[in-house]
Amino acid sequence: MSATGFTGIVVVVLFVGLMAFFSFINKDQKTKNIRPIPAYDKINQEINVAVEDGTQLHISLGRGGITGPESAAALAGLGILKQVIEKSSICDHPPVASTGNPVISILAQDTIKGSSKAISISDNIKNPSGELIGITPFSYAVGTLSIIRNDNVSANIHTGWFGNEVTWITTAGERQSSSTIAGTSQLPAQAIIYASASDPLIGEELFAGGAYLGAGGMHQASISAQDVVRWLIIFIILASVLMNILGMNTFIEKILAGSM
Amino acid sequence: MKINLKSPVSSAVAIGIGIIVLAGYFIPSIKDIRFILLRTGLVLSAVALLVGIINLLTVHFKKLGADSENSGYSLILVIALLVTLIIGIIDMFQTYLVGKPNFQIISWIFTYIQLPIETSLLAVTAVSLIYAATSILRKRMDLFSIVFFFVVLLVLLGSFSIPPATLPFLHVIRDWILRVPALGGARGLLLGIALGTITTGIRILMGTDRPYGE
Repeated sequence: MSATGFTGIVVVVLFVGLMAFFSFINKDQKTKNIRPIPAYDKINQEINVAVEDGTQLHISLGRGGITGPESAAALAGLGILKQVIEKSSICDHPPVASTGNPVISILAQDTIKGSSKAISISDNIKNPSGELIGITPFSYAVGTLSIIRNDNVSANIHTGWFGNEVTWITTAGERQSSSTIAGTSQLPAQAIIYASASDPLIGEELFAGGAYLGAGGMHQASISAQDVVRWLIIFIILASVLMNILGMNTFIEKILAGSM
Repeated sequence: MKINLKSPVSSAVAIGIGIIVLAGYFIPSIKDIRFILLRTGLVLSAVALLVGIINLLTVHFKKLGADSENSGYSLILVIALLVTLIIGIIDMFQTYLVGKPNFQIISWIFTYIQLPIETSLLAVTAVSLIYAATSILRKRMDLFSIVFFFVVLLVLLGSFSIPPATLPFLHVIRDWILRVPALGGARGLLLGIALGTITTGIRILMGTDRPYGE
């Protein structure tokens, strides 16, 4: 087994152990022990507004598929879609979803149908949802504009994998004066989202949706696990800097080269 | 008694395949199984594209009939899709049966229709980005937004090659921003994204997060 393979297994086992541990110790805890993220508060607020006003939420899931590095962002977006649909069960109009990837489109339709069946809001003929808008960046962005410009859409939630074309989608929402909550895992697109969306999700905040939208204890446990590993990484970085200053870096490199 | 096997079976298959693919990255002996599963996934993705296009066509056919203000766009989409599909099929026959050079007509459509349209949209994106950058202070007047705005301004000024933006200290500031705080910030964000990606993957492999189906 290579050093990378061994490190990978250690990381996975560490995360599984930490998540199981935090899930166990927080089992009976009723309050959420997580920092507030304004974008998720806004999603909860917009769900209430949609229920009261009889308006619709639009969730765009980006262009990411499930076989590449963008899959985590796409799956996180799908998770948020599921929670929003379940929470908006008493809306007059179910949320509308759009995507630029065929696999995510099928999964989104499956999620919508599954949740709609559970909450009796299936209205697929009047509200076709989860449709594939376009498979190139700009065909997807331009196709999404017609949904954003729908007067009945009160808020837009863009969570998934987006590129620079996200500026078209977010600025269109702002021009419609509807709230725009957006997050992606691509760095240039994150900078654009920070500048153009009313409520941006930065960095790993995209992946924390389940914990803030009530998806279950394991989501909160995974955030605690992330925090532990984050502190571990900070410690390793600081220790590396210190060892570099003390001239011990070559010593460690020799150990790593010899043993792995 | 009705037993719904669809959800547990599909979840078990998804989790099982996910675990094998993940293990394939770490254990060299099952690398080949990982490749077979990934190749199968790619083939299924291509089939999903076909399903997605049929779905897109169906949705826009329905919109044509409805009293919708966007029915004109739907009509253009349906016509463009069908024309491209028919041309693609003719091109395929000409390439494989008649022996003409590879997909000439489809290449022409991509080079002279799709490419210019997408390039034009990319050009408009630059305007859209400037609009977004200038409107940030109107949206959120906080410390981070002010810093963001002035950093963008400094980097842009340092990138210009026209006087008076060619002042040497602007280039030095721009290089320092890109090399030190921007790179550090990007690495910090990437570490956060990596942590989020790992936990999302593990939640799905453990079956505690199923963002699909019932």
